[in-house]
Amino acid sequence: MSAPMLEVEGLRAGYLDTTVIRDLSLTVAAGEVAVLIGPNGHGKTTLLRAISGLITPDAGQVRLDGEDVAGRPAERISALGLVHVPQGDGLFAEMTVEENLMMGAFPAASWRARRRELGRVYEQFPIVADRAAQRARTLSGGERRLVALGRALMRPSRIMLIDEPSLGLAPVAIDAVYEAIAALKHGGATIVLVEETFTHIEGVADAVHVLESGQIVASGPFAELSVDPAIVETYLGSL
Amino acid sequence: MLTDLVSVVVNTIILGSIYGLVAIGMTLIYGTLRILDMSQGSMVMVGSFIGWGVLVVAGWNPILAILAAFIATFGLGALTQLVSVQPLMKRRNAIDFEMVTFITTFAVAMVLTNLALELLGPFQRNVTPVIAGGLSIHTVDLPYQSVAMAVVSIALMIGLGLFLARSRWGMAIRAVAQDLDAARLMGVPVGKLYPLTMGLASALAGVAGVFLGGLYFASPTAGDLPLLEALIVVIFGGLGSLPGTVYAAYAIGLIQAVAEAIVSVTWSLPILYGVILLVLIFRPYGLLGKPSEARL
Repeated sequence: MSAPMLEVEGLRAGYLDTTVIRDLSLTVAAGEVAVLIGPNGHGKTTLLRAISGLITPDAGQVRLDGEDVAGRPAERISALGLVHVPQGDGLFAEMTVEENLMMGAFPAASWRARRRELGRVYEQFPIVADRAAQRARTLSGGERRLVALGRALMRPSRIMLIDEPSLGLAPVAIDAVYEAIAALKHGGATIVLVEETFTHIEGVADAVHVLESGQIVASGPFAELSVDPAIVETYLGSL
Repeated sequence: MLTDLVSVVVNTIILGSIYGLVAIGMTLIYGTLRILDMSQGSMVMVGSFIGWGVLVVAGWNPILAILAAFIATFGLGALTQLVSVQPLMKRRNAIDFEMVTFITTFAVAMVLTNLALELLGPFQRNVTPVIAGGLSIHTVDLPYQSVAMAVVSIALMIGLGLFLARSRWGMAIRAVAQDLDAARLMGVPVGKLYPLTMGLASALAGVAGVFLGGLYFASPTAGDLPLLEALIVVIFGGLGSLPGTVYAAYAIGLIQAVAEAIVSVTWSLPILYGVILLVLIFRPYGLLGKPSEARL
């Protein structure tokens, strides 16, 4: 039995003197799509930032394929094959779409293959190909999200963290984004997805973890948690 | 009058190109690290002495002088970043980063200036022209040496532009300038990129120093005026905007030179600063600067 792709143990993290994540543990197996669900302000984004190294955890371990990476800077963790699509997309606003995608292939080994990977991303997202020469800041929200996902595909990765891919998008754009995520899942990708509600994740979620006040308060398969009246009512409003 | 105008244009291009080299480096640093690097003037000074040392003392050729200045000030600039900026990087959100680094890089400048005073004395060293001859346009003398300086300066600026636009590390510099977190998520090692950026900018200032040393002279204070000029160009052009910096470098030279030709030398500086004052009142973020944080 090999190590899980991601193993978070006893993690504590936050900003300056505010602790946001408290003693949190989470395991994601290879090929699994784990969804973190919970209301705003309860630590979902902070958890992803602590895993990817954008903030340094105060305590605990983050094991990536068995290797503890907690405390390493984001650029080093990224090089180990962790891809993080941050909230708000993190596109380089003054760069063109194509330049943004090329930055996704920044590590030396990927950089050599960037032309081929560009072709692959353009094939998967024709709308991104249409916008290739435009600056990122001129795109619509849905286009931006697809560019962010496309950029995440510019290099081989072992695990992808995707922060609220439906945030601020029109329903039709959300469908396009989740279509892309479903394709990733079918390709065998390991994904940690953050969402506020159960609304969009039915087709992709394997395990669902409910995050409240920086701790996971419930975990289980989507089919189980999404019909648990206590969870649905307490945290998430309507389905 | 025609003679005056031709000489105005020629001088604008030559001086604008050289000062533009210093200013564009400061813009690169500001856009990427969000600091006003006060050590850039000393890089000009160091470059001027390297030019003097290679050309006059050693008697070697100008290409070697440019190369030596580029490499030495690249290293010095990277070192300056590691010594005076990098230690503060981790706490950049908890302190007034721009102000503190303004002082720490100024401290480095003071150390370098006084080192030069100690080692080389308070003398102005003449760098005799190494390229003889020149053109004559409408009775305006145009030394080949000045033409060569302008050509090399412009080539360096274009080279920097291409480096930023096309190369892997150049794109990484722009990425860091635009979204630090996202750049780190792409795997950009900011710990290496920051010294690289400051080294590159300093190298441009160093080359400008070789040229300014040739036009005027090498001395421990040779970088003071260029630093001030570059600061004005950078702010006039819009902090962090590379095209703005280039436009501003030539615009400032042109305003000054036209005022000199049409009004008088005495009035050229008051007129220049009057124009700058007016522009900044109506566009506080400069010609092409942006009110927000979008940079490079």
